[in-house]
Amino acid sequence: MKSIILMTAVALFSTAIANAQIKNATTETVKVYGNCSMCETTIEKAANNKNISKADWNEETKMATITYDSKKTTVDAVLKNMALAGYDSPKYLAPDEAYNKLPGCCKYERESKPVTKVDHSKMDHSKTAMKHDEHAGHDMQTQSKDQQEANQLQPVFDNYFSVKDALVKTDGATASAKAATLLLAIKAVKMETLKADEHTAWMEWEKNIKSHAQAISETKDVATQREHFSSLSTGIYILTKSAKSNLQVYWQNCPMFNDGKGANWLSKESAIKNPYYGSMMLTCGKTIEEIK
Amino acid sequence: MDLQKTIYKKLLPVVFSSTKKITIHMKSFVSIVILLCMFLTVSAQTKTIYTCPMHPEVQMSKAGVCPKCGMTLEARKITAKKVQPKKKVEPKKPVKEVEKPVQHSEHHNTITEEKKLPSTDAKKEVLNQATERVNQAPGKAVEYHLYITDAMVNYTGKLKKGFAVNGQIPMPTLTFTEGDTAVIYVHNRLNEETSLHWHGLILPNKYDGVPWMTQRPIKAGETKLYTFPIVQNGTYWYHSHTTMQEQSGLYGAFIIKKKANSPKVRESDLIPDYSLVLSEWTDYKPKNVHRMLHNATDWFAIKKNAAQSYAEAAQAGHFKTKLKNEWKRMMAMDVSDVYYDKFLTNGKPENSWNLLSGSRAKAGDKVRLRVVNGGASTYFWLKYAGGKITVVANDGEDVEPVEVDRLIIAVAETYDLVVTIPADSTAFEFLATAEDRTKSTSLWIGSGIKQLALPLPRLKYFEGMKMMNGMMKMNGDLDDMGMNMSLNQMDMNVVMYPEITGEAKKKGTTEPREVEIDSNSKKDAGVMQGMDHSGHNMYNSNAMSDIVTLNYAMLRAPYKTTLPNAPTKTYHFELTGNMNRYVWTIDNKTVSEADKILIKKGENVRIIMHNNSMMRHPMHLHGHFFRVLNGQGEYSPLKNTLDLMPMETDTIEFAATESGDWFFHCHILYHMMSGMGRVFSYENSPVNDELPDRKLADRKLFKDDRAFHFMAENDFATNGNDGMAMYQNTRWSINTEWRLGYTRHHGQEVETHIGRYLGKMQWLMPFIGFDWRYRKIETDHMGMKDYETNLFGQTNTKDNRRQFSLGVVYTLPMLVQAQAEVYHDGNVRLQLMREDIPIAKRLRMHFMVNTDKEYMGGFKYILGKNVSLTTHYDSDMGFGAGISLNY
Repeated sequence: MKSIILMTAVALFSTAIANAQIKNATTETVKVYGNCSMCETTIEKAANNKNISKADWNEETKMATITYDSKKTTVDAVLKNMALAGYDSPKYLAPDEAYNKLPGCCKYERESKPVTKVDHSKMDHSKTAMKHDEHAGHDMQTQSKDQQEANQLQPVFDNYFSVKDALVKTDGATASAKAATLLLAIKAVKMETLKADEHTAWMEWEKNIKSHAQAISETKDVATQREHFSSLSTGIYILTKSAKSNLQVYWQNCPMFNDGKGANWLSKESAIKNPYYGSMMLTCGKTIEEIK
Repeated sequence: MDLQKTIYKKLLPVVFSSTKKITIHMKSFVSIVILLCMFLTVSAQTKTIYTCPMHPEVQMSKAGVCPKCGMTLEARKITAKKVQPKKKVEPKKPVKEVEKPVQHSEHHNTITEEKKLPSTDAKKEVLNQATERVNQAPGKAVEYHLYITDAMVNYTGKLKKGFAVNGQIPMPTLTFTEGDTAVIYVHNRLNEETSLHWHGLILPNKYDGVPWMTQRPIKAGETKLYTFPIVQNGTYWYHSHTTMQEQSGLYGAFIIKKKANSPKVRESDLIPDYSLVLSEWTDYKPKNVHRMLHNATDWFAIKKNAAQSYAEAAQAGHFKTKLKNEWKRMMAMDVSDVYYDKFLTNGKPENSWNLLSGSRAKAGDKVRLRVVNGGASTYFWLKYAGGKITVVANDGEDVEPVEVDRLIIAVAETYDLVVTIPADSTAFEFLATAEDRTKSTSLWIGSGIKQLALPLPRLKYFEGMKMMNGMMKMNGDLDDMGMNMSLNQMDMNVVMYPEITGEAKKKGTTEPREVEIDSNSKKDAGVMQGMDHSGHNMYNSNAMSDIVTLNYAMLRAPYKTTLPNAPTKTYHFELTGNMNRYVWTIDNKTVSEADKILIKKGENVRIIMHNNSMMRHPMHLHGHFFRVLNGQGEYSPLKNTLDLMPMETDTIEFAATESGDWFFHCHILYHMMSGMGRVFSYENSPVNDELPDRKLADRKLFKDDRAFHFMAENDFATNGNDGMAMYQNTRWSINTEWRLGYTRHHGQEVETHIGRYLGKMQWLMPFIGFDWRYRKIETDHMGMKDYETNLFGQTNTKDNRRQFSLGVVYTLPMLVQAQAEVYHDGNVRLQLMREDIPIAKRLRMHFMVNTDKEYMGGFKYILGKNVSLTTHYDSDMGFGAGISLNY
């Protein structure tokens, strides 16, 4: 009994403190787009500024109740912080980079983001393909449907490039996460719909790339990841050659990796960004083959 | 924004000038002009405004209350409308007799308000000129009146003094068309001198606007006419060239459109455009900022959270880096010197452009931004939330369009950028972030829901520190390790950019990078040669990420820019500097210490610059365009301001086609005021009648970089009163230290040193000194005096001691000051001292030990700009604590 009283007292006390924290408090309720409880945490964290502002976001209604010190900040400033964390509101649209960084479950429907008019003549295909992966649907309209069907292996390649980019940045955590996505993409490939050449190559290499993708996803140690990445690259290289991709890729070589034995990788750019040494040796290497 | 100024000051002259104008124009036989003026005057005369007695800048057309203080507005009849740039456009008119070429008569350059006649003459003359010019180029005289006034501004919640022109910050945008004649009256309504420089303009020397170099300053109350033919087009700007006025609001855009039928017109000239002046605001007085910089304040670093103390270094796993940094005698480095309260887009932290009034932007529309960096010392990163940015012009000159994700705009540069509005009913953020990334300023393009751009993440300072450690040789020179850096292609600072090189690593997850900086570059130079990559790209941000950043090598002129065939004179400039003492020089000489550089009309001048200092410098040449030799051959771009990052070497060249004296200087205001510049002087130029006494003019000109800066500090402690005062300039130092005990036994001591810093790094300072000390030497119970003996067995016996001394101070690694001093009685004293060891963000430690067996050590906690809490132990006075005040 005592403990209950104590707990109640503490609870009351802390609420009192919490309420006392924000002076000149003004409360407004604004719609903030989001999906899940993870979103709730992020949104509320973005709004929380000690003694100045806080928010309570409701997963059901998608409404955020924002309490703020009207002498020190504005509701706009709070909404801006939420947008910078990746969440749209009627006032602000999140930067695409911030939205793309959200975990998969949080990638809400961006209703308030107006359709971007894309100048098709100027869009190059590699960029479109990349966007397809990153934007997970919201600008699907930018990609024609037949193009998707044309290349089932595209998600595999795209995710491979994501792993590579993470290794270029020596970012083990991202590399691991991207490798996990790559693994999903590999599993999603329906072998029976592949074209003949692709089919053969896939039969031969699927196991190999799967195992290395898995190995990369299971560790955050960049050195280990890079070893597997070297083998993974060989498999992907064969696949790329077999696939009639309309993507220009470059098969590039780092002569130093693995005690001078060297290692290769695929890149969408001709410029060298070496994934084996990261910033230490970023532009060391050369293109040994151009694949179209 | 809260701008206050005196309404009388502002309005009265306008009344004058508008009545005046009628007479002038009547005389000028042009009936259209008369009609135009009449119309303007009539419409102005009927005007009634409602203004607040407290806030004269509030001027409403209807009665009501002041939006600022709620007071009832008072009606006020005025005969002129609200002061704003008075643009009188003289329509094309039939050419009258043209006998003499365009000439600017001399006697009316400076007109005081009292003397109205000459000014009338002046205007008549100007009109004649305009008429005359018609024959040569079908232009017109475009007249502006600029009233420079004091203004009270409020950017931070506090009212501070600034300067405004026609009641606004930035100064009004002046718009011309190529071929016009600019007629600009500058009315100085300040209590101090001023001047205006037309940045990037090709004009007669005497209108260039550098006080004591090309003209006399415009004295308080005076009016000066600047008039010159407009012989170019593009985005330029203008600003005060007097003291630090530029920092407080005296900057504005100067836009010259192409002639409609010009073959140079491109698509980007026909779309909606917007002039965007970037700048910064500090609540501190600029003169005080300058003084603080010279006194090596770390207050700005504290405000920026970039003190880079040992504790912060240890936390980031960079303790050794910090140690090595101090070993190499470097203080905490940053990409900018000054902390600013606000960064501004056309005078506001946030601004918006709804495009042409009425018509809303459609998705897919292209618009042009004319970006001017009018900041005194801030570089800005430019980014656009709506996608890529196409660079179409730089420093006013067209370039071949080049598409980038972002670019940095150096102080005083201008860029013309074309961006696309990708969607309807959305406002896209054009984000300008200060290079130090402390704050940013935005322009919203379009209207509707606001699409944010991703802000730039905070700099990884310790990565930068590590990089500098690698580059800095023990003698203070920078070693580029054979990378031949130039044209902003390699940015050493990329190591600090998380968006390019990844997030800062947490302590523990170490990566073997330390060694690699050296070995990598060696490998790059050796083993990797001949491979498919262009040299040393480890700092090339474009090679390191998907983000395309503009650099100078990407600029290409749309037409050939080769110089005429003429003999070429080549100069080598080494940009030198010293952050610790805030000395900025060329070849270790300030403007006042160096001779003018004589050049001949008709020759070509080539300058090879190498930046051997730790800061970047935007070098600006007045009155000329120079070619930047950037690998584009005959199509090398033309610029007037070129940024050099540390260790870069760039070559520029220009044809000497003018006459007179032209300033070439670093455009960071505080570097320029410290003397970082040179004067190019044409041989056999006609005497500038504004400055008949060259000696006097030079003396006045040199005053800026010869100035002494004062600082003082006093620690009111329980065990005594310690303090010091310093009065220093580029080379000389007068400093005095005192220690005042509260008892006779503790005594009182004052030491004064006058010295001169030697060498580029200024680590060595010989000095002469004078010591005065009074102390009651204790007598013990035996009647023996308790003399003090130093380590060398020398004693001093006097209670009241007066001594001359000779000595020398040298800064050792770890920034320890070693001092050796010989007194005239033969006594010798050696001393080691280190001040301001950054322990934590606000905590500093200091110690001193000498051969008089005195020692001292203590801590200081910095509370504010001028106040610290202190505690120290002193061998003479014991333990104490107190409050230290500093100026």
